Amino acid sequence: MVQKRANASDNGSMSAGLFRRATARLAAARSDGGFGPRPGMTAEPEPTALAAIALGDQEARAWLAGHQRADGGFALVTGDVVSDSATALGALALAPGEARERALDHVVANQAQRLPANPDWPHDPNLRGWGWTPDTFGWVEPTAHAVLALQVLRPSAGSPLVDGLAVLADRECVGGGWNCGNRVVLGVDLPPYAQTTAVALVALQGAEPELFARGLTALDRLWRAERQGGLSLAISLAALRLSDRPAANEVERVLDAELDRTGLLDDVVALAWTAIASGPGLDAIRRPA
Amino acid sequence: MSAPMDRRTFLKRAVEVGVGAMVVGTGAGIAAGVLADRSRRPWDASAFPVPGRARVAVVKAASYDVDLEAIVLDGLRAVGADVAGRRVVLKPNFVEYDPGAAINTDPRVIAAAVLAMRRLGAAEVTVAEGPGHRRDTQFVVQSSGLLEALDEVDAPFVDLNTEALVPRSLRSSFTNLGELWLPRAIVEADVVVSMPKMKTHHWAGVTLSLKNCFGCVPGRVYGWPKNVLHWAGLNEAIVDVSAAVHPHLQIVDGIVGMQGNGPIQGTPMQAGLLVFGADPVATDTTAARLMGFDPTRVPSIAEAARFLGQGDPERIDQVGEDAERSAVDFATLPQFQGMKVGGTRGAGVDPGPA
Repeated sequence: MVQKRANASDNGSMSAGLFRRATARLAAARSDGGFGPRPGMTAEPEPTALAAIALGDQEARAWLAGHQRADGGFALVTGDVVSDSATALGALALAPGEARERALDHVVANQAQRLPANPDWPHDPNLRGWGWTPDTFGWVEPTAHAVLALQVLRPSAGSPLVDGLAVLADRECVGGGWNCGNRVVLGVDLPPYAQTTAVALVALQGAEPELFARGLTALDRLWRAERQGGLSLAISLAALRLSDRPAANEVERVLDAELDRTGLLDDVVALAWTAIASGPGLDAIRRPA
Repeated sequence: MSAPMDRRTFLKRAVEVGVGAMVVGTGAGIAAGVLADRSRRPWDASAFPVPGRARVAVVKAASYDVDLEAIVLDGLRAVGADVAGRRVVLKPNFVEYDPGAAINTDPRVIAAAVLAMRRLGAAEVTVAEGPGHRRDTQFVVQSSGLLEALDEVDAPFVDLNTEALVPRSLRSSFTNLGELWLPRAIVEADVVVSMPKMKTHHWAGVTLSLKNCFGCVPGRVYGWPKNVLHWAGLNEAIVDVSAAVHPHLQIVDGIVGMQGNGPIQGTPMQAGLLVFGADPVATDTTAARLMGFDPTRVPSIAEAARFLGQGDPERIDQVGEDAERSAVDFATLPQFQGMKVGGTRGAGVDPGPA
């Protein structure tokens, strides 16, 4: 069941057309109550959480509630590998209550492994952030998701939130912006990507102002260079809308055309971010003033 | 199958042979560690028949503007590729995209391979990849020109990062992974063709058809980058993943490869070659030699040569161009000089987490 939020039409930044087209594609992708990574596939936590945020969808929330693990996390379990990086997004998707708090507890309790100290690595080994899977290093995107959830839902989280923000600062590419989390390798500066830069900006939403400003400047360049990527455009749109940047309108036009031309290759995560960025779901990930 | 060697033991052994400190895949030192211990056999011998003679074809192609379809067809025929009536998946290398950099298998080679497979009677030909650094697959495959090239030959693309998954028990245990969840498109294919770019690699020495199998492993499980695999030990993971995927055919794009700080930050290197094979170890052994590397010093190739395919040059029948005359000296980072033919071992520097 797709439920429009009461204030959807009041969102001045919303593109009704883009939102309608993205949600129509999303709704068609539903599978066994949740959403898989592509239409017709078995539901998984991350696309379901994002679709629940985008659509304000009770059925997707119910799927999440039914698949929450005893430890509070949401995980894609493939044998011994438990990918629990969707837990932060799951928390954002859930309604206020015990399930959401358990998800946040899981996020706080499951930071990444510390890096071994190594003078050849340009990272602070004392910082942790969050990884894609337990017992691995922290990376930009899962760290950004955790920071977002804590900033929005548990701003009093304390040291984990401080650590997450510090990781985003630590992994900033030279000149601003982010890639997956390696800013320098063997003395060579690695470039930022639009998608990961946008994810980090969505997480920061003005926190760490100088870092945030450099990221926005980088994104303004990056989204243009990477305008053929639906996921990059969709998260860029969310980041720019959340910070009220005029470039959002241009991004939205490009994304709309890309959705029309390619359907974003039926990537449900990209479709869900498109719907979030262009609709009322944006309020669910907005950092409290 | 013998007990798996954990990461700590692997590293300890490497250090024990006195080649310097390393944490994540640092070249010649690890090769020495592995090669120093030939008693371990961390694979299920019943699953891997003793490799027989192999045939590899090395074919010149001066540029991407020549008749690649004919060249690829000849190369595939030279190695006895049998794809008639079979479902073929071509797995190129699109780990990342950077305009102007020689990171990716050229889309023109891939399109030529689609056409050549059809001429050999393939029932269907699909191109599939799961980019390892970039989560936005659409950006990678559109910006690189891959989708446009595939449109021209009416071939579908499958994003392996979002594909349905099938569990596969590993039949080798260089890592402790135990099993991998692989995309259905790979598991259900009759023929998987690994189509790497000929590149140096700042953790593994070279990246060819074995390392290219990493792209079969889905990011939404293992991360961007696929940190679980790197954490398990890069060279060990290359062997385990490639043993699980076990590509039936290989086409190495060495028309323009990458040297130096590959696989992303290196510089283009025009080798003017395509390498074809039906044994990934034999193909990589030959391609590494063409790049000026000693494959017995490249850890993943050396280990794979013990069970996964033929690594003995005396048992590889090479057709086409002469290997010695066609060899191009790919520059490498100083710490990998020990892997080069006639090279001496470097100290080993860890590039950092991946």
